[in-house]
Amino acid sequence: MTHGTQVLDQMRPPSPAEPGAGVYSNKLGMWVFLASDVMFFTALIGSYIVLRFGAPGEWAKPGAVLNVPLTAFNTFLLICSSVSMVKAFAAIQDGKKYFLRPVPGKLLRDGGLKFWLLVTMICGAGFVGVQLIEYFKLVHHGFTPAGFREGSLLAEHAAADPIKYGAAVAGLYGSTFFTMTGFHGFHVTCGVISMTYLYFTKVLPEKYSPQDYRGIEVIGLYWHFVDLVWIILFTIVYLI
Amino acid sequence: MTATNSQPSGATHKRPNYMLIWLYLFVLTVAEVSLAFELPVSRNIKLLLLLFLAVWKALLVALYFMHLKFERWRLRVIFIVPIPLAIILVSAVIMEHVR
Amino acid sequence: MTSVAHKTLGTHDAHHAPMSFWRKYIFSTDHKIIGIQFLFVSLLFLLVGGLLAMQIRWQLGFPGKPMPGGGILPESMAAGGVILPEYYVQLVSMHGTFMVFFAIMPLLVGVYANFLIPLKLGAHDMAFPRINMASFWLALLAGLIMTASFFVPNGPIRSGWTNYAPLAARPDLSGVTVGQMLWCVSIVVLGLSSVMGSLNYITTVINHRAPGMTWFRMPLSVWALFITAILGVLALPVLQGAAIMLLFDNVLGTHFFDPVAGGQALLWQHLFWFFGHPEVYILILPAMGMVSDIIANGSRKPIFGYHSMVFAIIGIAFLGWIVWGHHMFMSGMNPTLGSSFMVSTLLIAVPSAVKVFNWLGTMWRGNLHFHVPMLNAIGFVSMFTIGGLSGIFMAATPVDIPIHDTQFIVAHIHYVLFGGSLFALFAAIPYWYPKMFGRMMHEGIGKLHFGLTFIFYNLTFFPMHIIGMGGQMRRIYDPTIYDFLKPQQPLNVFISYSAFALFTVQILFVFNFLWSLKFGKKAPQNPWNDNGMEWSLPNPAPHGNWERTPNVYRGPYEFSSPEAGDKDFLPQFVKLPTDRDPVPAPVPAGH
Repeated sequence: MTHGTQVLDQMRPPSPAEPGAGVYSNKLGMWVFLASDVMFFTALIGSYIVLRFGAPGEWAKPGAVLNVPLTAFNTFLLICSSVSMVKAFAAIQDGKKYFLRPVPGKLLRDGGLKFWLLVTMICGAGFVGVQLIEYFKLVHHGFTPAGFREGSLLAEHAAADPIKYGAAVAGLYGSTFFTMTGFHGFHVTCGVISMTYLYFTKVLPEKYSPQDYRGIEVIGLYWHFVDLVWIILFTIVYLI
Repeated sequence: MTATNSQPSGATHKRPNYMLIWLYLFVLTVAEVSLAFELPVSRNIKLLLLLFLAVWKALLVALYFMHLKFERWRLRVIFIVPIPLAIILVSAVIMEHVR
Repeated sequence: MTSVAHKTLGTHDAHHAPMSFWRKYIFSTDHKIIGIQFLFVSLLFLLVGGLLAMQIRWQLGFPGKPMPGGGILPESMAAGGVILPEYYVQLVSMHGTFMVFFAIMPLLVGVYANFLIPLKLGAHDMAFPRINMASFWLALLAGLIMTASFFVPNGPIRSGWTNYAPLAARPDLSGVTVGQMLWCVSIVVLGLSSVMGSLNYITTVINHRAPGMTWFRMPLSVWALFITAILGVLALPVLQGAAIMLLFDNVLGTHFFDPVAGGQALLWQHLFWFFGHPEVYILILPAMGMVSDIIANGSRKPIFGYHSMVFAIIGIAFLGWIVWGHHMFMSGMNPTLGSSFMVSTLLIAVPSAVKVFNWLGTMWRGNLHFHVPMLNAIGFVSMFTIGGLSGIFMAATPVDIPIHDTQFIVAHIHYVLFGGSLFALFAAIPYWYPKMFGRMMHEGIGKLHFGLTFIFYNLTFFPMHIIGMGGQMRRIYDPTIYDFLKPQQPLNVFISYSAFALFTVQILFVFNFLWSLKFGKKAPQNPWNDNGMEWSLPNPAPHGNWERTPNVYRGPYEFSSPEAGDKDFLPQFVKLPTDRDPVPAPVPAGH
């Protein structure tokens, strides 16, 4: 129903006389949205940096409260999903709409858009799943947004070794940890949901082609952004 | 699998080797985790190195996966603009604790 | 000589199957309808804000006296019609919140960015029409959530529209529970609406300009709305983050802003004002842009210094990011930081002044037509100048120390927001009314409204400078409990009476607006003899705007141009024999 503006060809900017950013509108719009999302994470991450810098006590040592090996694996999972996303993008640029196709003379089959996007969705959902498990375990052990729950296992550890567990600023630790990773996880979840929607409405019915793969490129940009934010978060939340 | 990448805007360039970038990211992640736990360096050096590694990884994702290396300057600027703003906000508020 | 004013470039309606009423007017993706939806809703919220202000003025003018009509308020708010202190601070907080977030911002941006940008650029619609529709419904939802906070236990927030921590973060201190949560949720939803809208405006301006509409042929209203959108897309998310942290402090027991548990109360202020300062430029830049268009039109002259106007807008937006600390001079922040904010704030006066001089330069020796929009636009220039001058006072930290949080600041805010933004709206609404509704607002009533509003507005807000200098603080319930403020109380009474008169006079505007919808004079196609692209369309503009993308042949301010022959204006869409097409206009792709 929407007319949009006149487009010569869907992947080109609308007016040849005034090319603007030189990319089609959906892509431009997603980049602008990502810039706004950077500012959103700036508020959360910036607050974390400021609160930690000005904290009245020592922050917990890395690995004391949080499970770094599990999260390192999760980071790897998300990075893999980013690679599979970009491979999905490359696939549709090459016109490979199929799922898997045997390649003569090679052991591994050649994956098309349907394969690589599915991999991305699975890895993304896996990331959220692992994070939810991590959250459940943390809360079970007593780590909440308000700090260490009274009478919990972590509260006991913190009482025994307050420096290692950052007992003095456990409240800040909990607040910043859950807010930052929670909103990141929310972004990942939205990404997985969007991809699932696109998968069933556009990818499986083979609506994308090398002439028009806008949706894949746009969701790809969002997905890589989410990965990028996690790369920063993993380092400054889990490793420092 | 074509090695060149024809963009609608006309600019053609060689498609980056995504698996190679993936390998870099993997290696850098391993480096980060080992640095955080194994290497006996002072806290401040560790902080700087970790941040450096994180930024390096982020740049790899931005430049190659998000394709910014091959985009026009006009598009890159959209993503770059929030960064100085973020730095200004955080630096200004940190100054509250530096008297 | 071609009849320049009446060129119609075709309508679009015939191509589409008729849409149901719901699809056409309620769940519309047409930017013009969305703009009009914003207009009606925001004018309602403006009324709500005004009613809140009337109660504030009653209490300040006649503290402790039962308010006429106060009986309808519940006892928890007004015992026996006398406004209670808890309710007073809620009035003050909600007046600010409604006016800033749900009246002025949507009126300037939600209405005019939506309505004007595609029309003035020669586009059929926004880049993302459905996201545009979502943006309106989210804004309405946010407004309803905020309104709901009046009806929950303990009512709405009590910490001022700036909602400072730790008061806002601790329900045990503020006494407000659900109301605080609703404020935070409403702000997050509004932020989402704003970001969606802004990214639409930015994409449309960058990518959807008609052939020939180069950057420096865009009208200043579009430039201003574009830069405003950039400010919005970068600033609102910071407020969203802060509101979420505040919400979590209230609900999840986190400690972002609570000093008792290691949090930082000042962090809230920094986050809020890092958003808040770009926000005030969001509230003024579109006004400046539209006023530029109207003044050029009313002077029958090109805008003086078009390029410097564009660079001034960019300069204001750019500098606006590094001045936020001037709202916090008294917060106890690092003095070195304070000094740097003082310098940057003083600097930002320069591009604003450039604009004021350019408006004056435009009017100088112009063939002035004092139609209602022009009157209000000139009112804007003069009142904004006063507001800007009081801003210079406050920019200097030593001066700000005694006047911070006094009525002097309140005077400044209202000079720039009412004297500035609202007068600009009183100019813009009648100006583009014909394009929206196909009729003219009544000129006589408009002039009377302007005159009376101007008088009562100054009588209301100018004395606030004086009582502020005299030491009356902001947001206090009863000035007369302080001996040093008692001598100023007559001025408070005077201000209150003027405010009541000011509010009453607005009936003229409301009547004019509503009456003209049905009974206004039918508008000719280009009633103001203006040059913008929008005047090439019939009134009201049809769905889809142009059938074929128009071409743009010149800049937007060709008034009194020798090429125009015996007319004193030459629209952007008129092709003279000497003009060439920018490119062959592209054939419309199948819709």
